[in-house]
Amino acid sequence: MERRRRSETPKQQVHHKNQTDLSAWRKGKKSDPEKSVQSHQSPNDEKNESKQGSLEEALSYFEKVQERVSLKKNNALQKHLTTVESIALEKGLPPEGFDVLLKVALSGKLADTVNTRLLKSLVPASVIPEDSVVSSVSLLCVSKCSASTQLLFLRWLITMFDFIDHKEQLHALYGFFFSFLQDEKMCPYVCHLLYLLTRKESGESVQLYEMEYHFGMQSHLQALLSLYKLFCPELVTITLPGKMKTYFKNSEGPWKAVINAVRRRNQENSAVLKPLVLGTAQPQSRKRKWNTQVLIPASSANRSNLEEDREKQLVNLYSMDESFPVEQLQTFPQLLQNIHRLEFPSQMGSVLTNPLLLHYMNCIKDESIYLRLYYWMGQTLQEECTWCVVDNSQYEEEFKAFLETVYKTECFLQEGFSSCEEFLYKSLPLWDGFCCRSQVLRLVSWIPLSSFSEMKSHLYDPLVQLFFTSSLYFKCSVLESLKELLQNWLNWHMIHLDSESDSQAQSSNTTLSGLVNTVAELIHFVGWISTVALRLENNPTFLLYFILDFYEIVCDMYLRYNLPLLIMPPAGIFYPALLSMDSVSLNQLCYIMYRYRTNLVAAKENELSKKKILQFKFSSQTYQEYNQYIVAMVGCLWTSSAFQKDTHPQGLRMDDELLKKIAVQDFKSSFNIVYHPALMGYALLFLQQAWPDDTTFNFSLIKGKRWNWYLEYLYSQGLKGLKVFIESSINRVSQASHNKTENMQDEKFI
Amino acid sequence: MLREKKSFKISIHLTTSLPLPAERDHLRPRIDLIVFMIDIKSKYSLKNVEASLAHVDANFFLGKVCFLVTGVGRVNYCSVEMNAIWKLGEMYCSPVLFCELELEGIRNATAQRLLRMLQICAGHVPGISALSFGTLMRNSTDD
Repeated sequence: MERRRRSETPKQQVHHKNQTDLSAWRKGKKSDPEKSVQSHQSPNDEKNESKQGSLEEALSYFEKVQERVSLKKNNALQKHLTTVESIALEKGLPPEGFDVLLKVALSGKLADTVNTRLLKSLVPASVIPEDSVVSSVSLLCVSKCSASTQLLFLRWLITMFDFIDHKEQLHALYGFFFSFLQDEKMCPYVCHLLYLLTRKESGESVQLYEMEYHFGMQSHLQALLSLYKLFCPELVTITLPGKMKTYFKNSEGPWKAVINAVRRRNQENSAVLKPLVLGTAQPQSRKRKWNTQVLIPASSANRSNLEEDREKQLVNLYSMDESFPVEQLQTFPQLLQNIHRLEFPSQMGSVLTNPLLLHYMNCIKDESIYLRLYYWMGQTLQEECTWCVVDNSQYEEEFKAFLETVYKTECFLQEGFSSCEEFLYKSLPLWDGFCCRSQVLRLVSWIPLSSFSEMKSHLYDPLVQLFFTSSLYFKCSVLESLKELLQNWLNWHMIHLDSESDSQAQSSNTTLSGLVNTVAELIHFVGWISTVALRLENNPTFLLYFILDFYEIVCDMYLRYNLPLLIMPPAGIFYPALLSMDSVSLNQLCYIMYRYRTNLVAAKENELSKKKILQFKFSSQTYQEYNQYIVAMVGCLWTSSAFQKDTHPQGLRMDDELLKKIAVQDFKSSFNIVYHPALMGYALLFLQQAWPDDTTFNFSLIKGKRWNWYLEYLYSQGLKGLKVFIESSINRVSQASHNKTENMQDEKFI
Repeated sequence: MLREKKSFKISIHLTTSLPLPAERDHLRPRIDLIVFMIDIKSKYSLKNVEASLAHVDANFFLGKVCFLVTGVGRVNYCSVEMNAIWKLGEMYCSPVLFCELELEGIRNATAQRLLRMLQICAGHVPGISALSFGTLMRNSTDD
């Protein structure tokens, strides 16, 4: 309305008059107390007002512009064009402006360069009114403008799709868009647009047989066809390839920077974007387009009719005509009521942060949702990857947040996304180990189980290169994520063991032997890299902690996860842990050896009792390995025969002559629980408590009865692993002297 | 790389192509690691590296050579095929590292990685030689 008022003003006095008119208009609207505030407004505000005025003037100019005005010759056109562009860049255009500008751009009145510049500056400040879009589509059909302008308009429509406030009329225009598929150049963009617009109902009105014969199998068509196939499988008769990795071309290019700038500006100033956010309790700091896709827009719901809709829904509770738009989904009971007719939003990304929708995804086997999510996530991950596309590096924080969201969703659903897996396989070889490190490594832990050769070439090889050349902390992070990976696989196995009815159409890598093989390979891989890493970093405790953490899971696989697999740690890990300088590693090692023993004993019992027909038996080699380790360990810690009894080829056994040469006295007992470097501190403290006056620290006092006291003291200091190890593996014949104790000889299974 | 904290002295010799001029041979210290930098955006870079490889003594390929591919951040604009680079690494039995020089964080991380490799190749880490490290980087299973 305000525009029309000033449309008669002559151009020369425009600037000044607009300023006064605007302020007059503003004063008229606002109440008196604010008048004084108005007059003290900063020059910034006045500039805004003047800009507002000049925008309105520019819009009125465009409304009335005649045909064939050349850009170069007409100063007014230039001025207004730059006005529009600068305002678009600063805060985005108000909804009223779109109608005029779209009409001008698509009607072919002005030159192509002007149209392009106009379209490029059509960035909304809040929403885009649907009517303007509809009228511009009608102009598109008439094709008054050039082909390149039409393409640019389509790209604009795809990019700004989320900002259109209502979409009912657009859905009605589905058939018109469909007819544009015939045009070869427009086809990819139209496919993308149809992909966004397609809902379950629209699939029926599609004439698919035409498409099949006219076009070849291009990627954008494949994507669209696969979506149709899901909605109406009977109409799509062609077979689509299994794993499609191709997506729609990125249409965002010309507007990307502008959109981000506008959004950042608006978020700083006020909650302009609030109308677009439905209260699903999301934080406000979403700055990127794809992050706003993670919020469900309220734009496709007509909020004023909310009350009527609710009544209608109560009446039509079981009617299949209406589908429940997901924006109104607030509570769990609502989900349960409407679970049979839920309509997913067109931006699949919003599903990721909505726990209700995730519940739905988990229970209902709706392939279309998975497919759409797969496409969207794959495309987003590929495009926004900060190390593959260097321009994205400024948005690294947002990409990290996005990866966090994906990870949290995977944790919620307790399974990995295949698009995420593919993204990792593609980008890990190019990864430098620095960008988004913790997020990427966490996503690695959700990679689903697959055959060993695939994992080797896609995951293990790139990780190895990074692992060996990176810092200690990176190594520890990788080990942690591999531990989580193992745990996820084992959990998955446990869950699928219970639901054995799922045995139809299982591929070979989900059978038990396939699983066992893959898990075994992972464990061997981790054992290998840990050994090398210990060597590279010179046995730091920090690294050893993570390695032993991994083996804590490995040692219990039989009893806890029901997986018939038992793999001992390699000597390169066992011995550094046994001879380590700190008690934490030693304690952990004792606990692990205790668990191994428990698992082995249980396996032997099951074998001997023949209650269960076992598919797998642990080989004698496993038992032998275990025995070797246990002999060495007990020899070290208990019987003071550290260097004699060890039969392991990489073990501690040394000849007596050699030992004499080192000229250390009492070397035999140098690694028992009193003299072990890790435990000597405890021995010291014990002596201080037992003989507070004695300052000579005579360790040989700890024998006989006091040996037992010392043991109790060690247990009380938190060395629980040591406790269970000693109680299980060492049989004490007499309490009198520690020399008479012996280890269990009948541990040697065959 | 020179800015990173380290406990040993390093000297870096930069050159655009090999062979190094023969006049200074007697002044040159022992070379521990050769890093060939390939810019993924220019075919010329790859050709240059391939030509220079012919001038390197065979002994260096026992773990003392490494390829550093830069410009990864513009992988959509690369004119060099990734396959060609993998094949190069395999043919010369040397690891291939990736880096984007435009970003400081990645630059630092890659510098640290190269320093670690240098430490090993110079023999500063007991128990690991350049050759064994080179084989480690290429095989991911202990057969």
